[in-house]
Amino acid sequence: MRRLLLALSLIFISALQPFPLSAQVVEESLSRDPGPLDFIEGDSYEQWILQSLAGDALVGIAPNGRVVSRLASSWKIQKDGKIVFALRSDVRYTDGSSVGAEDVVWTIQALLRHPKASPTKRAILERAEVGIENGRPWIRSPRPPGRLLMELARVPIAQKDHPERGSGPFAFRKDPGAWVFTRRDHFLKPRVDGIRFRLLPDAAGVMTALQKGWLSIGAPATRRQTEVPSTHRLITQPMHAQLVVWSQLGVAPLQLLEHWRKDAFPPQLLALNARPSRGLWPETLGFEAQSIESGMALPKGPRTLRLLYPAGDESVEKLLLALRERARRDGFDLQLAPLEQGLLADRLQNRDFQLACSMVVFDPHPWTVLEYMEPKGPMNFIGWKHPQLAEITTRLQQPGDSAWRELQALWAKGPAALPLLDFQSVIWVDKHLLVEPSPMGLYLHTPGAAGWRWDQ
Amino acid sequence: MGWLVWALGLGLALGLPGSTWKAAAPPVFPWDALGPTVLAIALLSCLAPWLAWMGGPTLASRRPLALLEAPPDLLWAALLLAIWPSVWGPPGLGGWLVALLAASLPGEVRWLAQAMPAEHPFPLAWGKTAVQRVRLKVLTRLWGRWVAARLPIWLTATLVLERILGVPGLGTDWMTRVAVRDRFGLAIWVLVLAILWALSQTWDQESA
Repeated sequence: MRRLLLALSLIFISALQPFPLSAQVVEESLSRDPGPLDFIEGDSYEQWILQSLAGDALVGIAPNGRVVSRLASSWKIQKDGKIVFALRSDVRYTDGSSVGAEDVVWTIQALLRHPKASPTKRAILERAEVGIENGRPWIRSPRPPGRLLMELARVPIAQKDHPERGSGPFAFRKDPGAWVFTRRDHFLKPRVDGIRFRLLPDAAGVMTALQKGWLSIGAPATRRQTEVPSTHRLITQPMHAQLVVWSQLGVAPLQLLEHWRKDAFPPQLLALNARPSRGLWPETLGFEAQSIESGMALPKGPRTLRLLYPAGDESVEKLLLALRERARRDGFDLQLAPLEQGLLADRLQNRDFQLACSMVVFDPHPWTVLEYMEPKGPMNFIGWKHPQLAEITTRLQQPGDSAWRELQALWAKGPAALPLLDFQSVIWVDKHLLVEPSPMGLYLHTPGAAGWRWDQ
Repeated sequence: MGWLVWALGLGLALGLPGSTWKAAAPPVFPWDALGPTVLAIALLSCLAPWLAWMGGPTLASRRPLALLEAPPDLLWAALLLAIWPSVWGPPGLGGWLVALLAASLPGEVRWLAQAMPAEHPFPLAWGKTAVQRVRLKVLTRLWGRWVAARLPIWLTATLVLERILGVPGLGTDWMTRVAVRDRFGLAIWVLVLAILWALSQTWDQESA
């Protein structure tokens, strides 16, 4: 009997020892199922993370927002707008074959022709031509080369006829209930052994996993952001993300919202996650804070306004309640109507709303704001147009050009949308894991996760 | 009537309103979650009738069973996470199975116990053996209907546990298809559940 008790005690003690298997693997979580890794059809934020780990685009974007080399070691912009890329010779797909110009051509043609290709990537490549010249791939597009280059950072190159195969710094494997990436021999020289994602859609589940040490990286619940466990450290970073309100009622409601957003949100509700927006477009993309200049006086109450918003985000809901209270002080009844995300998207696309808001994650380049203004722009929900738009757009060659100020001034006269909040990424990161944050997050820049390392 | 309800479900799945802002690919069906789900359902469909057989119809009015039945899935999952030693790593499928059984068994036992006929004065007066034989006969008759009524619920209602424990399974698959508006995938889900229901009807033919 004594021996049995001793054996049971030993089994129990050994069960309490930590598992040694994933010491160098970064444990991460995804809030949504990214779907199968597919460089042609995949199109979501989570899919973009997967693709950035398992694939290489021709160029990358550094944490400071500049275009850097990735699959292409160099490129040359010709007078006719054609960009010719020189590919690295030391890049290989997971099956061992090297990346060639024909893979670039196939990927871009597949994105343009495949009926289910990613709409985001197809929009980037709209009316683009692609070809091979002296063994080097080239791309030409009606878009300015500066814009095209930045947007190409979102188009990883797949192996010809294998939309699921990339050449990135990590090899992808789908395990039951997990998306697993393991380090490869790659020019970015990744230094962590691997990254393992689990699907954890529930914020409380993420919080528990962080506190129990089951996640190396994770976003804490808003109200407990500063209670960092001793195993982790807090990292905050402004993001290219805003809570944006569109108005079908003209500029007047947006003028009111611009007025209210200054003092509507109590700091304890905002926490570290958000701060009131100041301008019309994201300051993280280099835009100056610009106010609405419609020339009209601020409307007076009483009046009722109905605002649709995506249901399910508790912190956004509380902030909108604070906004409603601020509106009430000016005699306005701001009615808040939660809608499921899919139904809200439908209402936006069918222009069936007075005011509607949604969180927008902008692409990491200033041309992304044209989505508000261009006739078929994915965020032009009210059919905004202006005769000067086309002419100004042709002069937007590089970030920082003076034409950007003209464009913003044009929008400021009659905007269709206004940001209420600028979001900030707040994450807990394992104390021993060294990462480089950027407005694009931890993954989507170059080198991204390949630049992480464990501190000995 | 049953087929009409399933046809209505199919219509709802195919005509689900709403759209996605940016097109998203439907998820790959979690085939690897099928085994654990079948195991969970098999355990549930054996354990619940066995407990009902042991306890009889009086279980339906037992207060301890009601107390166990009251907490929602969420609390069972949270409790499991709280007591699970951190050095063991995330609970995974084993934890999910324990939480699912803890959340579902009390309710299912009560469902079965409530459907059983009273045993006083007969067969109680005929002795223990008679009581057990009657319970067995009753539960054998009930089993098909019970599975038909409850299986679709347990196939999809594990979503809460899956979300909290980070174990994607059939509930997550179902919800993801709703989120990405995969109407075709949802229609297949409804069809499969309808076929399971039809099969349970054939097992459960009333004899003349």
